[in-house]
Amino acid sequence: MTTPSTQELLQTMQGASEHLSVNDRREFLRRGMSYVAGAAAVGGTTIASAASLTSNLPPNEPQWGRQLGTGVVENPYGMPSRHEAQVVRRTVPWLTAESISSISMSPLQDLKGIITPNGLVFERYHAGVPDINPDEHRLMIHGLVDNPLIFTMEDLMRFPSVSQIKFIECPANGGMEWRGPQMEALQFTHGMLSCCEWTGVPLKVLLDAAGVQTEGKWVLAEGADGAHMSRSIPIEKVLDDTLVVYAQNGEMLRPEQGYPLRLLNPGWEGNTSIKWLRRIEVGDQPWHHREETSKYTDLMADGRARRFTFVQECNSVITSPCPENPILRKGFIEVEGLAWTGRGTIKGVDVSFDGGVSWRPAKLKGLVLDKALTRFSFTTQWQGEPWLIQSRAYDDTGYVQPTLAQLREQRGVNTIYHKNSIHTWQVAPTGEVKNVQIT
Amino acid sequence: MFKSRKLTFSATLVASVAAGVISSAAYAQDYNIGAPASAQEIAGWDIDIRPDGMGLPVGSGNALDGEETYEVFCASCHGVFGEGEGRWPVLTGGEGTLSDDRPVKTVGSYWPYASTLFDYIRRAMPFTAPLSLDDQQVYDITAYVLYMNDIIEDDFELSHENLAQIKMPNEDGFYIDDRPDVSNPRCMVDCADPETMMLQSSLAGVTPIGHFVEGADAPAASHSDQHDLEASKEAERKASITGVEIVAPVAKETSAMSAAAIAGEATYQAACGVCHTNGLAGAPKVSDANAWSERLKQGTDLLITHALEGYSGSAGYMPAKGGRADLSDEAVTNAVLFMVESQQ
Ligand code: HEC
Ligand code: HEC
Repeated sequence: MTTPSTQELLQTMQGASEHLSVNDRREFLRRGMSYVAGAAAVGGTTIASAASLTSNLPPNEPQWGRQLGTGVVENPYGMPSRHEAQVVRRTVPWLTAESISSISMSPLQDLKGIITPNGLVFERYHAGVPDINPDEHRLMIHGLVDNPLIFTMEDLMRFPSVSQIKFIECPANGGMEWRGPQMEALQFTHGMLSCCEWTGVPLKVLLDAAGVQTEGKWVLAEGADGAHMSRSIPIEKVLDDTLVVYAQNGEMLRPEQGYPLRLLNPGWEGNTSIKWLRRIEVGDQPWHHREETSKYTDLMADGRARRFTFVQECNSVITSPCPENPILRKGFIEVEGLAWTGRGTIKGVDVSFDGGVSWRPAKLKGLVLDKALTRFSFTTQWQGEPWLIQSRAYDDTGYVQPTLAQLREQRGVNTIYHKNSIHTWQVAPTGEVKNVQIT
Repeated sequence: MFKSRKLTFSATLVASVAAGVISSAAYAQDYNIGAPASAQEIAGWDIDIRPDGMGLPVGSGNALDGEETYEVFCASCHGVFGEGEGRWPVLTGGEGTLSDDRPVKTVGSYWPYASTLFDYIRRAMPFTAPLSLDDQQVYDITAYVLYMNDIIEDDFELSHENLAQIKMPNEDGFYIDDRPDVSNPRCMVDCADPETMMLQSSLAGVTPIGHFVEGADAPAASHSDQHDLEASKEAERKASITGVEIVAPVAKETSAMSAAAIAGEATYQAACGVCHTNGLAGAPKVSDANAWSERLKQGTDLLITHALEGYSGSAGYMPAKGGRADLSDEAVTNAVLFMVESQQ
């Protein structure tokens, strides 16, 4: 076993870094330097230098093949590898005064497939995460019903359960970019978006048990947290697909996602899927509460505002390459991304490499489900040419994801919510990727 | 063995089908799960108010009485005139700005119904102690916020009988969702003119991208870092005026504390930390020794009295028992001891 000299190591690294962008090259060299320093400190010739960069590579036997690892239940609840510590939710602190009523974004740039792991689902609270004892949690159903009912968690879990894969998106996703590009990373332009397999009971089943009276046209859903977050939902939606869920991705809901119980309105603004759900009241008209008047109404250029803008319209974004995932090597590349629509199912996605002048159909990969994230892919070659890459999704209603210019012309730039326009990444000849807008 | 068990099973099956237990689909969905909700249970939780006045508790209040209550419970965040301190929400002004470049959406300029204000204050405010105000206080404060927005007079007696009749300036400013409002044809070639295309790049320095761009000009990545940043800038500014050295706060080992203080930590976390850990609403941070040095000189007994009875100094408003009337005096006392001994 020979240990390469510091000189050789540096040369190898210089060579490898030639494919990298400026920033990545800097990062690559910085990491490399610390490996070199480590090897030099132990003289470069002893067995301890096994910790250096190349010694774990063929033909050498890696360090982890020459020793034992940790045993079972060392981590009774398993955690990702420590080498994945960068894959976390992140926030933009200046958006809100405090973390207690704030938002964090999912790291879409690091996710695979269509399911968001529970610890990475984006967060939005209005009064922090309550610590709810499930034995003391109740769901009350009252108002225009024949039999007002109160359910324990145990009661709710006795009903036949349904499991469905659905996305949840905050209508403010992308809302910082109405006036121009502002966020320098995918996590912040599109990360208020997650997709899980949810398990629970259709709300319709619970309402049937209570017996909705004929005048019952709306329901008010309310949370048990300090915000007592409330939203009015039309009864048509409830009869269609609203769920009361207690589990996500195979385990009980995370506290951040409403443990022990939340509403799920598939395809609709995330805030209508009330977390920590404790009460459903049936009424004959909407309540016009703060989260459907002051917030979550869309102010148009003429000063008037749309209300009850429930549906998250068809949208898509390329997740690789993206600012966090620059192109590191010339040659083959799979351009990948996510598409979703609150109106139904993704029918197809087109990609453009020239800023929307010409388009080519991408492939949909894996599961293509109603109101779920759908992954698309386009394989090609990159030889360092500058790209303006875009994706454009369309759904089974025939709706095609619009351009930002089209949205601005209809709505102005003050709406905050529901910006589902075609997104552009600029790929530089170095492989670096930037968030840009084309006007 | 196996055979006989199977026989027994089918015998039971036949018997139960004969009795109609399994075959009826209607019966299978007659879950009979859940208990009746009593009128009393419903009354406790049914807090919602509607524009037609449904849900308003019997009572009344006015802006004259509301002014002081507002100043005690709300002004520390929303400003004495509703103008909003720092990044906290603005409650007043903005009339006529809704079609401006930078519209200011407030209760007065944007909200369509007065009922929403009563409902929201009662369900969610004050931010750190939701549902802690009584109906009288909510009527008074609602009247005061409406008065600050020039919607009612200061002596108008707002009540369950007239709240629904109050006409908000922007009531007619809303209409039902009419999307899809754009139609983009699925064009495949020559869809845009490259000659006229303009490229706009994102602003540098506003996105927390330190995790993937080394040495980036990036802002703080968490609220506590952001607060620390703002606090250290403020401390530097003060130090540059007074010449006083800045001492970094040091975390304390709980093992050095009295039994009462250790017992108080749980109460602190549950009821006090929301303000005192992050410095919310002007509360002195437990980790900030400077913020406590003057206070400690008053003596622990007075600090306990202030925590029990509430206290309003120059920093902000400390609600009695942190807004948690349900806590025993002893629990609050222990929480104060925990806070005090964290300084030693
Ligand atoms: C500790 C700071 C704090 C205090 C004290 C406080 N609030 Fe708030 N208030 C907030 C925050 C934060 C929000 C926004 C919450 C959210 O969006 O989730 C808010 C929102 C509001 C809103 C809605 C604003 C809008 O435009 O949607 C009103 C009205 C309001 N508060 C009234 C009050 C009143 C009345 C009081 C006193 C009884 C009060 N607040 C005390 C922090 C505070
Ligand atoms: C709503 C936010 C809030 C909560 C919750 C809160 N405090 Fe405070 N507290 C404050 C503020 C603001 C001050 C500073 C008042 C001033 O000096 O102007 C303060 C000051 C204090 C002081 C110093 C008083 C003095 O005389 O200098 C003590 C002691 C204290 N709080 C104890 C507690 C305890 C114990 C709890 C929990 C039971 C608690 N606080 C919960 C906001 C809060």
